[in-house]
Amino acid sequence: MPKIKSLEELKKIREEAQRDLRIRTETGTRIIIGMGTCGIAAGARDVMHAILKELERRDIEAHVETVGCIGMCAKEPLVDIEQAGKPRVTYANVTPDMVPRLIEEHLVKGRVVQEWALGRLESTGIQ
Amino acid sequence: MAEPYYRANVLVCGGTGCTASGSAEVIAAMEAEIKRRGLQDEVRLVHTGCRGFCAMGPVMIVYPEGIFYCQVQAGDVPTIVEETLVKGRVVQRLAYQEPDTHKALPFYKEIPFYSKQIRIALRNCGMIDPEKIEEYIARGGYEALSKALTSMTREEVIEEVKRSGLRGRGGAGFLTGVKWEFTAKAPGDVKYVVCNADEGDPGAFMDRSILEGDPHSVIEGMIICGYAVGAKEGYIYCRAEYPLAIKRLKTAIAQAEEYGLLGDNIMGTDFSFHLHIKEGAGAFVCGEETALLASIEGRRGEPRPRPPFPAVCGLWNKPTNLNNVKSYANIPQIIVNGAEWFSNIGAKRSPGTAIFALTGKVNNTGLVEVPMGITLGEIIFDIGGGIPKGKKFKAVQTGGPLGGCIPAQHLNVKVDFDSLKEVGAVMGSGGMIVVDEDTCMVEFSKFFLTFAQAESCGKCVPCRVGGKRMLEILTRITEGNGTLEDLDTIREIAKGMETGALCALGQLTPGPVMAALRYFEDEFRAHILDKECPAGTCKALVRARCINACPSGVDVPAFVALTAQGRYQEALDIHRERNPFPLICGRVCPAFCEQKCRRGDVDEPVALRQVKRFMADQEKDHPWTPPKKEGPKDKKVAVIGAGPAGLTAALRLAQLGYPVTVFEKLPVAGGMMAVGIPEYRLPRDILNIEIENIKRAGVEIRLNQEMGRDFTMDDLLNGMGYSAVVLAIGTHKSRKLGIPNEDLPGVYHGVNFLKDVALGKKPDVKGKRVAVVGGGAVAIDAARTALRLGASKVHLIYRRTRGEMPAWEEEVHAAALEGIQFHFLTNPVRVIGTDHVTGVELQAQQLGEFDASGRRKPMPIEGSEFVLDIDLLIPAIGQAAAVECLGSCGDISFNRDGTITVGPDLATTREGVFAAGDAALGPATVVEAVAQGNKVAVAVDAYLKGQKVERPKYVTAYHNVPQVFNMDDYADAKRPQMPELPVEQRVCCFDEVELGFDEKTAREECKRCLRCDLEWVETMGVEAVTQSDKDAVAV
Repeated sequence: MPKIKSLEELKKIREEAQRDLRIRTETGTRIIIGMGTCGIAAGARDVMHAILKELERRDIEAHVETVGCIGMCAKEPLVDIEQAGKPRVTYANVTPDMVPRLIEEHLVKGRVVQEWALGRLESTGIQ
Repeated sequence: MAEPYYRANVLVCGGTGCTASGSAEVIAAMEAEIKRRGLQDEVRLVHTGCRGFCAMGPVMIVYPEGIFYCQVQAGDVPTIVEETLVKGRVVQRLAYQEPDTHKALPFYKEIPFYSKQIRIALRNCGMIDPEKIEEYIARGGYEALSKALTSMTREEVIEEVKRSGLRGRGGAGFLTGVKWEFTAKAPGDVKYVVCNADEGDPGAFMDRSILEGDPHSVIEGMIICGYAVGAKEGYIYCRAEYPLAIKRLKTAIAQAEEYGLLGDNIMGTDFSFHLHIKEGAGAFVCGEETALLASIEGRRGEPRPRPPFPAVCGLWNKPTNLNNVKSYANIPQIIVNGAEWFSNIGAKRSPGTAIFALTGKVNNTGLVEVPMGITLGEIIFDIGGGIPKGKKFKAVQTGGPLGGCIPAQHLNVKVDFDSLKEVGAVMGSGGMIVVDEDTCMVEFSKFFLTFAQAESCGKCVPCRVGGKRMLEILTRITEGNGTLEDLDTIREIAKGMETGALCALGQLTPGPVMAALRYFEDEFRAHILDKECPAGTCKALVRARCINACPSGVDVPAFVALTAQGRYQEALDIHRERNPFPLICGRVCPAFCEQKCRRGDVDEPVALRQVKRFMADQEKDHPWTPPKKEGPKDKKVAVIGAGPAGLTAALRLAQLGYPVTVFEKLPVAGGMMAVGIPEYRLPRDILNIEIENIKRAGVEIRLNQEMGRDFTMDDLLNGMGYSAVVLAIGTHKSRKLGIPNEDLPGVYHGVNFLKDVALGKKPDVKGKRVAVVGGGAVAIDAARTALRLGASKVHLIYRRTRGEMPAWEEEVHAAALEGIQFHFLTNPVRVIGTDHVTGVELQAQQLGEFDASGRRKPMPIEGSEFVLDIDLLIPAIGQAAAVECLGSCGDISFNRDGTITVGPDLATTREGVFAAGDAALGPATVVEAVAQGNKVAVAVDAYLKGQKVERPKYVTAYHNVPQVFNMDDYADAKRPQMPELPVEQRVCCFDEVELGFDEKTAREECKRCLRCDLEWVETMGVEAVTQSDKDAVAV
């Protein structure tokens, strides 16, 4: 990894990172799991394994990513799904047995599972 | 071999779903079209696996633009190639459109939890992968560092931080910029930057979340600080209990070093800065700065006196800048956006945001970042979503074990360093623990004291000994062995610790106890004087939460256990020892016991009121003759008022052998039970059974006897020969609305309306439009009664919202079901009509600040007035005692709210005259009146025997009813529904709505009781139930 020697080089890395993120969010599927201590304590690891297993079973390519605590600890484990420029939809109190239906409904059929959804964020994490 | 360069990549999904919807044809068509246009050297076609877009398939993505097409068919291919690959334009009709189901979801900024938050230090938490520095950089990370290093001098950086007004987020609130300046100006070449990440307060996890979710923001802040103060090395002191935070910090440090953002010659400049992590062993005192520094040096974590402050003499005696995690996390944003931006957020003297870990009895536990100056109520109720299970907010603890509690009357306090100090609390580092009515404040402050005391390092005497002695006293109080002198001792010890302890830990240890004592002294006194824990948590004082919650202290588990066994008569005897009205209370009691039932923590509370009704109904036909407890006496007692308080007092005094006469103004006995509670809730024959029981004890009830008209107080005490008088006159006078025209015919006060209906003077309501004003039991009763009398439409007007109605939720629900139309957040401002009511002008309200009860105050919305056409207006907004009759009795004082002034012994200001029930309490419930009746009887008995009792207490023995079935069999049993009369049948008559449980349902329901009483008997080591007791029952 090259050392950053100037503001310009930092900007370049930033643009690359933003482009990478944009490509992931605008053309791919991101599944984002809250993995702060609160999330892990609420069972986020098991949820992540269930997601990976389900993606593998269905042979779906998705970026499974982890983030820290977003603040709603009472609603952990939180799983966000962001697909191809759609808003990032947050699902609350996700358990491993909810995962197959989440993937089936949200990813494959393109429908939000309303009763589990908490809210949405504007598309992409870039400001 | 280098890959050939393609100017565009076209990805087509070849997953199962897309293949099914025709992606193979699309691929073939694309291949052909690319070849036809001769683009095969410029454009590459790639088959991808499924990405989960099956619903939109076949999908095609064109790079480098990242254009996303969905539901592409072979026929679309020529257009795509022409428009996108050749002309570089997007084919809109194939571009992805957001489906409606997504639009139905609220954005985060519309969710109450987030709507009032401003995220500065937490801006990246939950948004980026904390283990990828690129994601931090993508969101503007390290821009502040490069700005500081390349375009700002050290002095300019310090100046910027100073001008921002940032105050230390560790809790003390010292100006960060000033602290930096001290360190920068301190003489010496070697200086250090230290981050205090020793977050140890129970219920606090702000620092952990930042370190776990966005470690680079802290690292960047520390590097900038290092540059500003002239340090080359920094330490993050993080407790070892935060393994994930440490892991992510290590990863982040390594990544920053790789990019040259940390280490030697940062970003090619001559500034070098190295960062180390020091894992702390978890001693709370190490959060104190001098102890923390000692711990980094490898010494015992003990504080030392200051000055010198670390800025002058810190780590290894070198100038050291020490800040909290949150302070550092704010720095990059201040440098990038400027001091003005930051100082415009939040409160004037506390700019920026505050981060709180919201925990305890609050719906949305979590981490929040709010602008300074937001009110405490907004954090707890708007962001936090209020208290779970509709319980009442009691207090919030800020500042953790060294802070203090803030009660409901201060919910409007602004959350910033200075305002919190004014109410005796502290900002602290950000823990916020919410407690509800079920928390005992003595126990709560004891919890924090236990923590702080255990964490005392032991170096100085005030902290080591003071904390221990104080804890001993608190323990004594929670066990019911405290004295009033103990409270003075606590205050004295606190003063000694505050002034004598070496560091903040010792000085602030008494904080939670002192704050609890300041706001909840009554609760301490209840433990000491009455040996009672009002919240029902102090083990030694609470046999079972239900018993504790019942105002008249009925031995609930005992009667429930006996009912389960079908032993109704014995169950009733136990009930009547404390409350002689099981038939009545089985119908109308708000069941305080159920609200505290521990089974309710598991699923739903045991249906105690309904079980009680069943038990009492079984013995309806076997009249009860109350047993005598003492022999006959000569001194006569007069009771004024035949309501629940008066009748209970009369009964208890009669049981003690006194001749008792009850004087009742109305032609019926029962008080509000007869003329307030409508028949559909309490049939008159049921009421009369229990009044007859009282008479059977030897009580004489004289009806139509009005004080002031038929006799006076002086008559009673002199000519008529009564030695004591109990005033139980109730509150039969309705409060006025205080609006124009309210004396117009057609305005009919709620209590009068219900009374006239009960006494057979049926008001003419048939076909009329009725509006009731109020949110309490009387309002609901009046509304449902009006409906039953044939009103064409019944409106209920209440100035707050449904959740705030004092009326019993089941009643409100029933009223809504029966067709009463609720108008919440509305208030009448004028009655309309010339010689009779024709309408009422209403004004919409909005909820404003919090009042002393912790509810939001309704505030009028100007210009929102509207008229409701009605024929009858029934105000029911509160009651007062009808004290006119007492005009002649002299020497009796009244309180401002119209109740009679009484002492703790219920004695009025006139010798030999006592008061009980609503007249002393204000409008309350039957069971509370019964409790008063029991108590006043003890007081009168003591008075007549010439004894002095300051705090009379009605005492009866508890019953250890053995458990005779396996409780595990009822682990999954559900609370049954009470069968009710169908709505269409009930609204046209006064038949009882609730139909009662059948025997099997009732007895099975009893078995859901968790028998807290037996557990208590066992843990307290008193007369545990033996096997022989059980055998005796089995026989």
